[in-house]
This record gives sequence, structure tokens and C-alpha cells, in this order.
Amino acid sequence: MKILLVEDDDVLIAVLTKALTEKRYIVDVVKDGEMAWSYGSTFDYDLIILDIGLPKLDGISLCQRFRAEEYSVPILLLTAQNTSTTKVIGLDAGADDYLVKPFDIPELIARIRALLRRSNAISSPIIVWGDLLLNPSTCEISYNNLPLTLTNKEYELLEILLRDSQHLLSVEEILDRLWSSDEFPSEATVRSHIRGLRRKLVAAGAPSDFIATVHGRGYYLKVPDKSTDVEISKPVETAPANSPNLKLSTQDSQQEKYLEFLNQLWVTTKPKSLEQLQVLFQAIEKLESGFLTPHFQELAHQTAHKLAGTLGTLGLTSAMQLAIQLENLLKIQASDQKVQLEVLETLVVALEQAIQNTNLIQSIPTTLIADNSTFSLKQSQSVIEPKVMIVDDDVDCLRSLTELLNPWGFKVTTLADPQDFWTVLCAVMPDILVLDVNMPPINGLEICQSIRNDLNWKRLPVLFLSMMSDSNTQNLAFGVGADDYLCKPIVGIDLVNRIHNRLQRVRDYQFIGK
Amino acid sequence: MPIKRILIVDDEESIQTVVQFGIQMVVDWQVLVASSGMQGIKTACDQKPDAILLDVMMPDMDGIATFKALQSDPQTAQIPVIFLTAKAQTSERRQFNDLRVSGVITKPFNSLDLPDLITKMLDW
Repeated sequence: MKILLVEDDDVLIAVLTKALTEKRYIVDVVKDGEMAWSYGSTFDYDLIILDIGLPKLDGISLCQRFRAEEYSVPILLLTAQNTSTTKVIGLDAGADDYLVKPFDIPELIARIRALLRRSNAISSPIIVWGDLLLNPSTCEISYNNLPLTLTNKEYELLEILLRDSQHLLSVEEILDRLWSSDEFPSEATVRSHIRGLRRKLVAAGAPSDFIATVHGRGYYLKVPDKSTDVEISKPVETAPANSPNLKLSTQDSQQEKYLEFLNQLWVTTKPKSLEQLQVLFQAIEKLESGFLTPHFQELAHQTAHKLAGTLGTLGLTSAMQLAIQLENLLKIQASDQKVQLEVLETLVVALEQAIQNTNLIQSIPTTLIADNSTFSLKQSQSVIEPKVMIVDDDVDCLRSLTELLNPWGFKVTTLADPQDFWTVLCAVMPDILVLDVNMPPINGLEICQSIRNDLNWKRLPVLFLSMMSDSNTQNLAFGVGADDYLCKPIVGIDLVNRIHNRLQRVRDYQFIGK
Repeated sequence: MPIKRILIVDDEESIQTVVQFGIQMVVDWQVLVASSGMQGIKTACDQKPDAILLDVMMPDMDGIATFKALQSDPQTAQIPVIFLTAKAQTSERRQFNDLRVSGVITKPFNSLDLPDLITKMLDW
């Protein structure tokens, strides 16, 4: 976790830096508002501690500037003035919290933790990954209940891997986040820390590929292998002969046996699928080094296709979705469209996680198409290419979101004028809706409410994407029936994951009805 | 009535197992397996199944090529063929229509449904 400390009092700088580095935070110190702007706009910080009284540019103006330029980094204000007005001005300027000097250092640290918790996807204070446990408040890590003694850097490395478990962490990113801006370590340093970390993890009983490598690209945490529990809890025992009430229809028991059979088959199919995945990992390596031949790409394409079929037939629907996207990505296009490396590797990593993560199959695939009726065709098309409708008055945002989402296999419809909302909605029939909050004259919250009140549309998943990161707006959004809320600026893959997960939830609910 | 015999041609062993299990749970049919186009043709010639479930994407000899070979051999030309495919786009389906297969089943499927589907498609 990297913090920018903006403070001109030397004594306070010394005290705070010591306290923060003891808690394993990386600290950059600047002493005036203009330097703070340079640093804050150049580097990525997880938090900014901002004193109000600063030379050159005061804290309030600086705060406003950060927010105006759409930086959503959490800001904690330090103020010597205990008046309510100052606090109000500070919070309205966009700060997330404030502390009045003189303050209690443990309180500062606890508030920092709270702000960092909120800004991360992980809301529970203790982070768990399989048998690994990390407690950010005490900086303790244990594996399988054995405490691990890590150096500061090793601890920080593990922490960012845990917090960013959704994507690959490159060496450059690690260098940026783990060292302050006036240190210049090399890639070899990162690798040596990874080695040290792996050694200690293995000594505690972790698998040697707990931290997995994608050669030349970066590191990620492998999804922990939970205990292979193949037994499904049977909902009903076989009825005694003289009880007329319990009637298990032959169809239900058949489906149950089928599910059991799928689970048993998965035990042998899972390692085979993982092996097939190696072809896709090789494709990543080849693409990265510039040697992905059309022949190998076709091989990778076919492998993805096979995986889609097998995983889907065994009931791993979300893994199948990923494989289908990979298949589409790898299809040799007539035009000179190159496969995008980042998209490819993120999909492959996600697919591996989906396969590893499945130890219990809980739903049976439904046969999608049996005949040529156009209705069934449309249904399966939607599964393969989900329709996303985005409403935002910011045309640039619409454009960049479309570019972001298209490579992932989504069919995107955009709407800048919310007045046409209902017409477009009924014409497009999207699978999921992404709404901005502020779109004068109508606002996104009203639209969400009207959807929830409409019998035909109330089940449509709604995801908010807005610059307003305050909890009030978020609470309002959930109050009108939003399913999710993301703050701009958005990392493409985060939006993709949220949309994916939401659509999967919808499919799971639909299946329960069957 | 003699027992129906179905031949499944797919290079994925898991799919073969799923098809076998599902069909045999529901009906008394016999299920034969083949792991490649070539093996499928040979088994079809030797065993003369009542229907063939044919995967489209297979290495070396794909489903389309296998189908054409089956059709051009008088010994096997009469056996109805149903394609198994993960592709559902209209362009691919048009290709299948031109070939005159008896039906198309898309993956993923629930193999318990297969006997019913096959019976409907082949008018048994």
C-alpha cells in the first residue's frame, strides 16, 4: 500500500513516516501543494494524507483539483482547525475523512485502514486465500495456522497479490507499488523477493506454484484447491414403502444420479482440462515473443472450442463462457486483426481459476438447441454474446467503454440521451444495463427505479458506473434497486468481471426454476 | 423390436462417457464409441449402428469430412447422422443444412435428453 503524505511540518513528517512504515506502508513525502499535485497525478497511490495548511497550494484547493480531474484516490485531511466549517469545507471538497491536530496516531492508522478497506474489493479486514491468512491490522500472515516470518517487502508483495487476485501482476507494477518514488530497484530484485516468498510458503506447506508465473508477463495467485468434496448432499432420503407423501418422481432421481455421475466424471476430466489449457498458455508465450503462427493459433482455437464443449456438458457453465470467449478471440479472422495479448492472458488465467475452483458441480447443463426454431437460436446467441446496454451522457465514456467491452465478446449498445431510454431498451432487450448517475435532465437513479417498478423489466440486472464515489450516492443507488456500483475511472477487466458475475447469477436463478 | 444401437464419434473421452451414461440411464439402447473420424467410419462399417452422433470439430478428420466419407460409402450412406457441435451461429448451421444431416445438437447438452431428441429427429 502506497501513501502520499503531504505535510510541511518536519516533526510531524518524521513521526508519521515512522508510524506508517512500521505498519508496512510505503510512504512518499512532499511538503507543498504543487509537489503534491505532481506526485499525485504521476504516480498511483492507495491513499493521500493531506494537511490543509500548505505552502504554494493549500490542501482544500488541492483536494478539489484531484476530484475535478477525476482522481478517486481516498484522501484523508489533517487540519489544525477544529471548527465545523473547516470540516464541512474539507469533506465537500472531496475528502473522505479528516483528523484534527493534535491527533492520536493509532486513530490515524485505524482510519487509514478503514479507508483502504472501502476502496478495495475486499471488505472484511482479514484476507483469506485458501490456507493463507493475512491480517492487515496486525501485519500477521499465517499459512495453515503456521505463522510466517516475512521481510517487509515479502509481506507487501504478498499483500498486493492478495488484493489484486483478479489479474496478473507484472514486474513493473510491483516495482511501482512496492517502492517509493525515489528508489530504483531492478527486476532481479523483484524476482529474488518472489523466490524468497515462495521458499517460505513451501516451508509452511504451500504448493510450490502458490504464486504462479506467466513467463515474461507476471505473477498471480493460483486459486486454492479446496478439499475435493465430491459428495452432493441428497435433499431427500428414499421414502419408506408405507409413506404416501414422499414421492420422488423418476425424473428427479434420474437428474440426481446424473449430477452424481457428472461429479464423478469431473474427477478425471478436471486434470485433463488443465492439461489442455497448457496449449493456451503456450499460445500466450508465443504471442508475447511474437511467434504465434497461424497454425498454432488454430490449434489454440480448437483447444478452446473443445474445452467449451466439454466444460459446458459437464455443467461448468461459467468456465464454458470463458472458453467460448477464448474461442472467439483466437478465431483466425479474415482481416488482419491481431489477438490482443492482455485480453488473451486474462481470459486464460480466469479459465484456469474457474476450472481449479470447481470441485462440486451443482447444476446440470440444459440442452440449448434441439431444432431449428429461431427462438432457441436467439437464446443461445445471448449466452455466447451477452447484450450490454450503457446509458451515459458522456459520449467519450461511451466510446471507451465500448472499446473496452467489445474484445470480451459483449454486444454493446450505447445511449447518450436518457430521454430515449425506454424505446431503446425495448428494441435492444439487453441482458444487463450499465447506468451513469448524473445525466440531466433525468438521472440514472430514477431510471433504475422505473425499471424495478415495471413488471416486464424488474429482473434486469443494473450496474451503476459513476464518478460519484461517496457512500450516500451508493446507498441511494442500492436503495432504488441497483445490483452493483462501480466508480470511475474504471479498470476494464473489473467491469467485465462484474458483468460476467451478474449474468451468471441470473442464469443460476433461472436454472433453479427448472 | 431389436435394441437400437447408437455410435458416438467424438475425440473427447468425457463426452463419450457422458453420452453413454445418459442414454443408458433412460433407454435400453446400446452405445458404441469412436475417438476419431477414421475410427468412426470403420466402426460404422463393421457394426452398422442405427444412428451416429458425430462431433464436428475433431483433429485430423473433422465431422464434415467424416460425414461426407460416410455418405459416399454405400455401406454406411443409409445411417442417419446427427451433428454434435458447440457452434450455434447461423453461418455454420447453413453449412449443415446443405449437407443434409438428420439433425444438430449443440453442446452443452444434458445427455438424459438425448434418447428423446434422437427419437424425435429420426422419427422413430
